[in-house]
Amino acid sequence: MDPSFLIPDPDAIPVNWIWLQLLLTITTFLHLVAMNVLLGSACVALAAPFSGRGEEAGPLCRKIGEKLPYVMAFTINFGVAPLLFLQVLYGQFFYTSSILMAVYWLAIIGLLIVTYYAAYIFYLRYEDLGAVRSLLAGGIVLLLMVVAFFFCNNISIMQLPDTWVRYFSGGEGLQLNFADPALVPRFLHFIASAVAVGGLAVACYYEHQRRQGDTGGEPWIKYGCNWFTIATIINFPIGFWFLGVLPSFAHNVETLAGILFTVSLYGSVAAAVISVIHAQRCRVYPAAGWALGAVFFMTLAREFVRIAYLDPYFSLTDLPVAPQYSPMIVFLIFFAAAVVLVWWMVKTVFFAQGVK
Amino acid sequence: MNYPVWQLDFGGGGLLIAAMAILHVYISHFAVGGGLFLVLTEHKGIRENNPDILAYVKKHTKFFMLLTMVFGSLTGVGIWFTISLLNPAATSVLIHNFVFAWATEWTFFLAEIVSIFLYYYSFGRISSRKHLIIGWIYFACAWMSLFVINGIIDFMLTPGSWLENGSFWSGLFNPTFWPAFFFRTFLALMIAGLFGFMTATALKEPGLRHNMVRFCALWLLAPFVLFLGSAWWYRAALPPHVEEMVFNRIPALQPYLRTFAICSSLLIFGALLMAVRTPAAVRRSLAAVMLIIGLIYIGTFEFIREGGRKPYIIQDYMYSNSLLQEELPTVQQDGILKSARWAHLRKIEDDPGRAGEEIFNLTCLSCHSVGGPLRDMKKRSAQMSEKGLEFVISAMGKQLPYMPPFAGSDEEKQALIFFLHRSLLNKPESGD
Repeated sequence: MDPSFLIPDPDAIPVNWIWLQLLLTITTFLHLVAMNVLLGSACVALAAPFSGRGEEAGPLCRKIGEKLPYVMAFTINFGVAPLLFLQVLYGQFFYTSSILMAVYWLAIIGLLIVTYYAAYIFYLRYEDLGAVRSLLAGGIVLLLMVVAFFFCNNISIMQLPDTWVRYFSGGEGLQLNFADPALVPRFLHFIASAVAVGGLAVACYYEHQRRQGDTGGEPWIKYGCNWFTIATIINFPIGFWFLGVLPSFAHNVETLAGILFTVSLYGSVAAAVISVIHAQRCRVYPAAGWALGAVFFMTLAREFVRIAYLDPYFSLTDLPVAPQYSPMIVFLIFFAAAVVLVWWMVKTVFFAQGVK
Repeated sequence: MNYPVWQLDFGGGGLLIAAMAILHVYISHFAVGGGLFLVLTEHKGIRENNPDILAYVKKHTKFFMLLTMVFGSLTGVGIWFTISLLNPAATSVLIHNFVFAWATEWTFFLAEIVSIFLYYYSFGRISSRKHLIIGWIYFACAWMSLFVINGIIDFMLTPGSWLENGSFWSGLFNPTFWPAFFFRTFLALMIAGLFGFMTATALKEPGLRHNMVRFCALWLLAPFVLFLGSAWWYRAALPPHVEEMVFNRIPALQPYLRTFAICSSLLIFGALLMAVRTPAAVRRSLAAVMLIIGLIYIGTFEFIREGGRKPYIIQDYMYSNSLLQEELPTVQQDGILKSARWAHLRKIEDDPGRAGEEIFNLTCLSCHSVGGPLRDMKKRSAQMSEKGLEFVISAMGKQLPYMPPFAGSDEEKQALIFFLHRSLLNKPESGD
């Protein structure tokens, strides 16, 4: 069967696709950063007690535990927006892939609720948990990885309409796309990135504390930087594996998407290398800046790969447009107002002079 | 007809969405009304110079945050996931038409998260005035979230002039927007009182407990008259055919309407009872019972509202089985199997039983389960002969106005009957 026949008709978009693509890219970047910090720092909380530092790791794990629920809240919030813009641009692919793996897709909600409450228990009952603490941290990491895998699986099915015909041998919503050779390296690439960024987030926190005059956490700056370095180095071969199994048209430099993908990829690699060099010298903030750059370039690369994958079936320029720009302007105004409000609140609470 | 169908037999008929949505709607209304409850209770504590009330507010904020931020937020995303699996075509219409409404709501959601975290974190760390401002920001953002979502939900019930002009603003500010907004706002305030009972009855100090329980009772009693007024306004704003459908033409909605009326009385009676000084254990138990009544209350309302859309998922635009109203004549002419992209087979003669099942999945499964608790097709067709089934299918959209007209050809109708009668119920061919 010709898979292109199965692709549903798209609905009209209200503004030129470039606006939606821009919003998709920016919000995906924000989500990936938050997700990396969440999963990565949870990995640190899991591993630190076994790192030979014994009791010393206690304050670090407690500190991570304090932040986990908040980072989780922002990861979810920042995940909502790209999911929205993805559906507007690629809904006909995305709804289909979600249905084909419906059981796993819906399970994400239950898994996230359990993870979120587990993060709160880790935070609020830290002292009482005792030996269960590591088990709980392990559970959080495992659940987040399962969620990440389901997301990767969905995007994999979405990008490969060839695999959709498996629906006709059962519509129970249990499709796992292991037929896609890029699925596993894609997943591992994300996980390794998260572990790296999580380490760097720990280093950033203690660097901030150090600059505030609290030098007690200095060993953790080095520890976090090492996490970042090792995970990033491990991520290079995974990245090359991922690149190697991508279809050749995805990085064909004779197409615009292929050129842009290649540029983004090189940009990402270069930013990651510079970031590691800074991290090894414990220059935490420059390392973080370059790491963010690497994540941003990888976000771009993801977008270009998707465009290349779907190119035989669909182009964003094909989407029908029923122009209505005023709602977008209203959104941007409210977004700007929300940013100002958030800034005012953060400033008011954290820069307050003592307790009143 | 455009998308694959998730083969949910037992869980069909909207069971998943009902389970997810009712819980979410309850918590999300609490997230709005509870926001105002927090700041007004804090005002009360400051006005009365009572540190115990302020300590209660902090405790209640923690409970509020754990419930609304985790369960409320994720079940909200869960509704989105669920509808996109069960009715992707309708979800796509909502997402594409209202992408910037959803996006705007997302900005309110972001500000809500930041403000409630900071509100909780900054108790005693900043001046009362600034702390209250942060609380008010939370409430304003939560209320604005309701403002936006309410527009999209009621668009599905009364799309109004959007049907002619396709305008975002016509769709959002549809004919029932304002009454529904006030209806939900007053309901949210009442729900804040219900959840307030849960924490107030757990207070140790009897004087404070009595004071706070009475304060919570006020949250149920004071908005109730306005709530009833907005309910009347809501009903009056419904187009006559929708009102007729809800209140007279769908027999299955009558128990929900009765339950809604009974729960209204129970909540008021319960609030009055809570205001009377009774033993702590009695109050505690009553608070739990009232919380459950509140869940039933909002659940029945949501069932009634959803029922009012029938046979559509978007009134006068898309039927509940995802078929566009304007496509119906074409599909009836060409047949369901030829029109659906994701049909396993295209010709009935290849396998009549399988074809009937396919037609069932494409046109019936969105509203009917197979052996499940909601609108079970086995139970409904068990007492029917093949002739009876044919009569019912032919009456859809006519004598049975709450069901979409059957979209298939005569042969497809027979295949569906074959599937329901022979395959599903395992009955022999009937001669009547």
